[in-house]
Amino acid sequence: MQTDIVDIYEKAAVQMHPQKKEWLMKKTVNVLLVLVMVLCVGSVAFANGQQEADVDDGTILIGHTANNTGIDSYQTTHDKVYRDTIANTEGVEAIILDAKGDVAKQISQIETLIQKGVDAMTVWPVNGKAVVPAVKKAFDAGIPVIIVNSLIDESGYEYAVGFAGPNTYTEGENAAKGMIKALDGKGDVVELMGLPGYVTAINRSEGFQDYIKANAPGITILATEPTDWNRAKATQVMENLIVKYGDQIDGVYVADDNVGIGGLNALKEAGMAGDVVMTSACMFGEGYDAMEEGYIMGSVYQSPAEDARKAVETAIKAAKGEEVPFWNYFETPVVTPDNMKDFERPNF
Amino acid sequence: MQQAELMANPAEQRTTLMRRIAKATEKHGLIVAFFIVVAFFSIASENFLSPKNVMLVLRQVSILGTIAIGMTIVITVGHFDLSVGSLTSLTAVVVISMHDIVGPVPAMLIAILVGLISGAFIGYLVGYLRLNSLIITLGMLVGLQAIVLIYTGGKYTRIVAPDETWFGFIGRGFLFGVPLPVIILGVLLLIFSVILLKTVFGRQVFSVGGNPTASKFSGISDRKIIFTAFVISGFLTAIAGIIMGSRLMAAQNYLGQGYEFEVIAGVILGGVSLSGGEGNIFKAFIGILIIGILKNGFLLLGFPYYFQWVAQWVIVVGVVWLDVATKRGKVLG
Repeated sequence: MQTDIVDIYEKAAVQMHPQKKEWLMKKTVNVLLVLVMVLCVGSVAFANGQQEADVDDGTILIGHTANNTGIDSYQTTHDKVYRDTIANTEGVEAIILDAKGDVAKQISQIETLIQKGVDAMTVWPVNGKAVVPAVKKAFDAGIPVIIVNSLIDESGYEYAVGFAGPNTYTEGENAAKGMIKALDGKGDVVELMGLPGYVTAINRSEGFQDYIKANAPGITILATEPTDWNRAKATQVMENLIVKYGDQIDGVYVADDNVGIGGLNALKEAGMAGDVVMTSACMFGEGYDAMEEGYIMGSVYQSPAEDARKAVETAIKAAKGEEVPFWNYFETPVVTPDNMKDFERPNF
Repeated sequence: MQQAELMANPAEQRTTLMRRIAKATEKHGLIVAFFIVVAFFSIASENFLSPKNVMLVLRQVSILGTIAIGMTIVITVGHFDLSVGSLTSLTAVVVISMHDIVGPVPAMLIAILVGLISGAFIGYLVGYLRLNSLIITLGMLVGLQAIVLIYTGGKYTRIVAPDETWFGFIGRGFLFGVPLPVIILGVLLLIFSVILLKTVFGRQVFSVGGNPTASKFSGISDRKIIFTAFVISGFLTAIAGIIMGSRLMAAQNYLGQGYEFEVIAGVILGGVSLSGGEGNIFKAFIGILIIGILKNGFLLLGFPYYFQWVAQWVIVVGVVWLDVATKRGKVLG
């Protein structure tokens, strides 16, 4: 492979006059330098804009480093509600940073927040293991850290005041309850899980499987297949599972509604949608519609707004020096066709 | 290839049966490998060769197959296009979001236009400014993905009333019992094979990829050829994005993530030379097909997921080895 790359490079170089080549390289380097400078200036300006919030001494100052705002609607809504909640709470200011999915950036952001002397900080970890040393630094500086939405590695628990977010294991259990009820405790089920190795995916899978094994001996889990949270892949995997098991499938458990809609595409084409019970561990807008149409029989409501509010609420408590329990779960209620009218259609 | 045949000549004179088989494999190593894979799965799983499953696999690979045609041309001309995964996401998102605003046909035209612009942009940088395609398209991989996220604001885009439009027919429909994406792929395979094998442009693609210096001296404008190759790749990727969008009637921001590697792996499996100058569109498709069969077959056999990766890797290495070994005429040593 490497030699091939060199070959191609040389091939390109052969046709170029040496001086021209040198000029081109200089030019490229120049362009890159300018780009780097623009980016630096831009980020400094951006950081300055955010620092304006940092003024008063009587107010509580909370720091936040988000995982990757804008990458999906869940995180977008989370960010919006986080900001709104801070704005609507008297005497609380916040410095809100976004790690953009880059763990190195998140670590330096945590260090920045320590230097700013925030009263508490919330961290939505990009990587559960890599942020642990940074969290320890905050702990050493006496700043309470709340881990938000996704857990950090267990080695970091002692440095965090608490966790605020959904209980993804319970979400899996709740989906299992829905499945047992819809199947009357008997049948064969396939599971479309999220991305292997990702805590949310593992917890939702284990929560479901453990609950089924303990409470419904009549239900067999035929297969558990990863979909990487990708709808197109979920469709393909479901198609293949239908070829393998066909009418034997009585139920499909999906890790979230995006995966669910992917699976549903395949079930609809096989003429099995509606006959096969589908339950989901996390409800999205489209899943809400699918439940209305009778394709999804049970789901779990995880609201990014509740998620953000819980984070802010816990952080304020910690900043005031109040005792905070380690696990601060927000409610993730079960949604069925019977009670779905009590829930607003998710906007993600 | 010619050299390999010359070297194999003395072996040909001793025409034992084994040598004859070896000679056959020499020419068609990939085809042999393909039939070995098919034979294995049809013995191991009763469902594998059912017409339903065959159609399913063909439809599953049709999107990668469409992208692979462009990739074959780009690699044959001596370059890489790593941007195809992100461009699939972008064109799918564009066609879905535009569908409800301007209707299906204009939405598709816009998506194709996006593909052409992306291809022309890369083609200009690589062909005319002589920048390294690996770096440029790696940049495009990230850049196009960023455009998708900025464009959608991170939201899933979807067609609000999927039952009230014919747009879904492209990805979901059947013609004479054959899925439409498969028919589209078949037509594209034919058209581009003819272009590559029977036109002046096609011969110039091989010439520029195989021996750039010689082709330059014989007056071929390699800039134009490289530019066109990337435009074709952008166009075909847009077609793939449209089929994908129509298949799902919705588009996720990371829909095509990783496609570039699956396509390149398939194309290499199909014997397209990484150093340029050698490639066959149909063989590249067989390479893609092998990868699709592996995914489908392993699931039918109920292989644990992580072992599927290992097995896929082993088979890819195995097939490439078989292909290279046969070309060198050294299957039997």
